[in-house]
Amino acid sequence: MPFGLIWHNLRRHWLRSALTIGSLGIALFLITALRALVNSLEAGVRGAAGNRIVVGSDVSLWVQLPTSYQAKIAQIEGVEKLIKWQWFGAYYQTSADLFAQWAVDKDVLFDVYPEMKLVAGSMDEFLVRRDACLVGIELAKTYGWKPGDTIPLLGNTYPRADGGAWQFYCAGVYEARLPVDNRSMFFDYAYLEQAGEAGETMYWPGCMLYVARTAEGADQEAVIQAIDRLYENGPYKTKTQPESEFNRQFVTMVGNIPALMAAIGGAVSFAIVMAALNTMLMAARERTRDLGIMKALGFTDGTAFALMLVESFAIAAAGGLIGVGTALATESAIAFQLSANLFPGYEITPDMIMGAVAAAIAIGLVAGIVPAWRASRLRAVEAIRAGA
Amino acid sequence: MPSPIIQVHGVTKQYQRGGETLTVLDKLDLEMAEGGYYALMGPSGSGKTTLLNLIGGLDHADSGELIVAGEDLTSLNGNDLAAWRAETVGFVFQGFNLLPVLTAVKNVELPLLLTPLSARQRREQALRALELVGLADRANHRPKQLSGGQEQRVAIARALATDPKIILADEPTGDLDRVSAGQVLDLLGRLNEEFKKTILMVTHDPIAAARSRSIVHLDKGKLGSIEHNRPLETAAARS
Ligand SMILES: Nc1ncnc2c1ncn2[C@@H]1O[C@H](COP(=O)(O)OP(=O)(O)O)[C@@H](O)[C@H]1O
Ligand SMILES: [Mg+2]
Repeated sequence: MPFGLIWHNLRRHWLRSALTIGSLGIALFLITALRALVNSLEAGVRGAAGNRIVVGSDVSLWVQLPTSYQAKIAQIEGVEKLIKWQWFGAYYQTSADLFAQWAVDKDVLFDVYPEMKLVAGSMDEFLVRRDACLVGIELAKTYGWKPGDTIPLLGNTYPRADGGAWQFYCAGVYEARLPVDNRSMFFDYAYLEQAGEAGETMYWPGCMLYVARTAEGADQEAVIQAIDRLYENGPYKTKTQPESEFNRQFVTMVGNIPALMAAIGGAVSFAIVMAALNTMLMAARERTRDLGIMKALGFTDGTAFALMLVESFAIAAAGGLIGVGTALATESAIAFQLSANLFPGYEITPDMIMGAVAAAIAIGLVAGIVPAWRASRLRAVEAIRAGA
Repeated sequence: MPSPIIQVHGVTKQYQRGGETLTVLDKLDLEMAEGGYYALMGPSGSGKTTLLNLIGGLDHADSGELIVAGEDLTSLNGNDLAAWRAETVGFVFQGFNLLPVLTAVKNVELPLLLTPLSARQRREQALRALELVGLADRANHRPKQLSGGQEQRVAIARALATDPKIILADEPTGDLDRVSAGQVLDLLGRLNEEFKKTILMVTHDPIAAARSRSIVHLDKGKLGSIEHNRPLETAAARS
């Protein structure tokens, strides 16, 4: 089989070949990345625990609830464990190194979130040291952090009065399933509180969320109503929801944008694939005379068929390679950005790679089958007459 | 007297055109001897190309018998016919013979891909053929970088590379200037005399036709006269 000819054909119109391959690569990257995005959004909802409820401000996620609520909520029947979450909003080294840091009640963190596991370091140290933190396994990988390291963070939400950096002690590395992000950092709320009281930073005793673990057999709906009734008349009205509902709302709140992006991206990918298909079909027509000559020389219909199909597959495969390669190469950067914006779990799975490969094969087949069929049917006599 | 290498018996070829039937070849009978050099002449549209394509196994006759190099072409299916072509005939068409993406030597190597030769043997054989047509120094040029005459000589090298018994050339000098045409005709003459190839060349040009051994006239699908310029040497005289 004169497959070397395919290489020569692609090289002859190298710019067109490169553009076709490039646009297929972009389309396949888009498709893969969008799938990963949608998947990560859904995973947060799917992974939600049935026995957790989330208490936030009725106004907005960014309106804080006073810490004084904690004791009262904890007393409600059915609330077994209660933890508060506060957004710390600092960055490491440069403002591009943004990731989520959370001030929480560290003694109950693993009780409320059994999906978190310590994979390195010491839990005791985390609990004992005031400045201790735990970092997610992906975050630790990104910056090469290990237990015992000091992590300096520059406060944005909580800038230090002395203008310096916060110094955290890395006590351990955790690994978790969604909805807990592997790119977050957790430290003790008490540390923030004490720093605030000592005047090291501007501080108001509040938090973004309370998350309660409800007792087994507790009537969740009743617990939710009991909590919201506490502060019906303010000063800060609460809105309590099951975790799954909270996650779903969070996704749809900002998540309409990803959904819209997915729709637009899908349409764009489709258009790109169509354009590439058109180019491939047009390129195939130019081979008519060459194939006629080859048939006159004694090449069979089957060879002509294979040549056209393999040429199409070569383009699609190269595009697929670029698409999958780009998706993998950008995976951690995109995951990092999304996670910093509270959308954890962006991940290119083997499934998605297989999907992109399948799409590339399908494109190769669709673009190749018609020219291949034509090439095999082509009669040497007519091809040569037409060209002369 | 050995049996003729090309035997055309009662061959009819018709085309349907807008409901009308056009009879291009009408119960044509023709025989050509091995080692001959035939020029096929006739007015435009008289069926010269059609006949050449039938003899070369590129097309099927509607009726009649075609026996070429001992093979009954009407009995061969597509793939067998392709294999037969690869082994038995070399084609030179009028202009645009070469694959534009390939260099001269790669064009000549192309039909050798259908043989069991190794890559090195293919390259060597292709270079020998290019040398024979006087274009060894253009081996790595692309068709675009060659003149029309050079292109035709590369096409002759390609037709020659597989060492076929028969060379079929359809107006090989049709697009060429006098000098280039002369070179191509010199080459065809050499292939016939030195390499004992049977050659059938379609041509309009009486000067080109005069270089052959026999001129076959075709008119309205029927055979006209056959002129003999030079007799074919006998087997005895050759050895
Ligand atoms: N595929 C075809 N369909 C219809 N008519 C054809 C076809 N091929 C050739 N013809 C017609 O057959 C006749 C003979 O053609 P051709 O063999 O090419 O003549 P020549 O080579 O002598 O000029 C012409 O009238 C031509 O138009
Ligand atoms: Mg003709």
